[in-house]
Amino acid sequence: MSEQKQTDLARREFIGHSAKLAAGLTIAPGVVLFGIAEARPADEAASSKNRWGILIDSSKCATGCDKCVTACQQENGWGSNELKSRPEQQAQWIRKVELKHIATGKTHSLPVMCQHCENPPCVDVCPTNASMKRADGVVLVDRHRCIGCRYCMMACPYKARSFVHESLENQELHMPRGKGCVESCTMCVHRIDAGRLPACVESCPEGAITFGDLKDPNSDISKALAKYDTTAIREDLGLNPGVRYRGI
Amino acid sequence: MKRISKLLLLVPALAALTLSAPAVSEVAKPQVPPAVKGEQCVEDTDDMRRNHMDYLQHHRDEALREGIRTKQHSLNECIECHVAPETEAQTASAEQGGHFCMNCHAYAGVRIDCFQCHATKPKQTALFHPLVTPGMKALKDVHQPDTGALLNQFASAHASKQTGGVQ
Repeated sequence: MSEQKQTDLARREFIGHSAKLAAGLTIAPGVVLFGIAEARPADEAASSKNRWGILIDSSKCATGCDKCVTACQQENGWGSNELKSRPEQQAQWIRKVELKHIATGKTHSLPVMCQHCENPPCVDVCPTNASMKRADGVVLVDRHRCIGCRYCMMACPYKARSFVHESLENQELHMPRGKGCVESCTMCVHRIDAGRLPACVESCPEGAITFGDLKDPNSDISKALAKYDTTAIREDLGLNPGVRYRGI
Repeated sequence: MKRISKLLLLVPALAALTLSAPAVSEVAKPQVPPAVKGEQCVEDTDDMRRNHMDYLQHHRDEALREGIRTKQHSLNECIECHVAPETEAQTASAEQGGHFCMNCHAYAGVRIDCFQCHATKPKQTALFHPLVTPGMKALKDVHQPDTGALLNQFASAHASKQTGGVQ
């Protein structure tokens, strides 16, 4: 009986993969659109019909693994670029956090980045409208407007934002960053707009990070959210983050 | 009468001065490197000379705040076409003074700070462009995301079976 169940599971998994393939469109090696419906034309604005979200399964997230952090650094060009800043000044768009339940001793490991709140406090406090939420729920810093006051860093309950303290060179073409501006996780917005997955999602060897449209009931992430118990960090604040966690 | 003749004398002298002014000027014209790719700019050259800043500013707000990522007036596309990538011999970095944008800005006395944040030259990441062939990627030894490769393996296996459609 159990063997039968196992094969069934394998079969289901295979069907899952095939369905993904049918939905995804391969343009060139390394470039896979995660769904034709989701790859928006270049001249179309991000729409509030979508809300991009991330679900992190902390039970799959391995202690000591920081592949998502490395992938983010590589993708967006932070971490190795700031040579003069002190460690506490250096950028941290995403960090691994280890938790331990005091009573039971159960440990959890999870990545924490900008939680892309529905009601972002960083946007509320910004005096220049540089801190902003895009129509599809991605919270960004418009560096053209940022004056580096760092109110948003104070306002963020997740300590998700960093300030660049020194002049930078050799930035990534798709990710301009420079001295005097605040920055944070962009949910790899340049990748989303091109129909690709964020770098951390793509890099996780355990598949612990799921990315998708929270407003699409048929997306992987919506199905998982409907099926499992998930939590947002500091849910009591009522910010309704787009990043949710399972198993903490 | 004397006064008039003096004035008449002044006229050719002034004309000579104004005519010779460009020749006397000590500031050399900016060296504008030719575009690396392509023959025709996204707008007429005269139009671009005068209005490129407006196009760029309009595009940057649309791209960042609304997510409209058209290519026509994108700064990245300017860089892609007008600046040689770092791997090529005629590297034109901002510091070396051979940069398309910088040269003209220096001449015109414009201190615009796009390049405090924006990349000054095309980079490896540009190779993710769909038009770049796998061969070019292999040549430049670019890191490719694992998942993409894996999914493509699945895709080719799927295609070879010619099953088609959702199962």
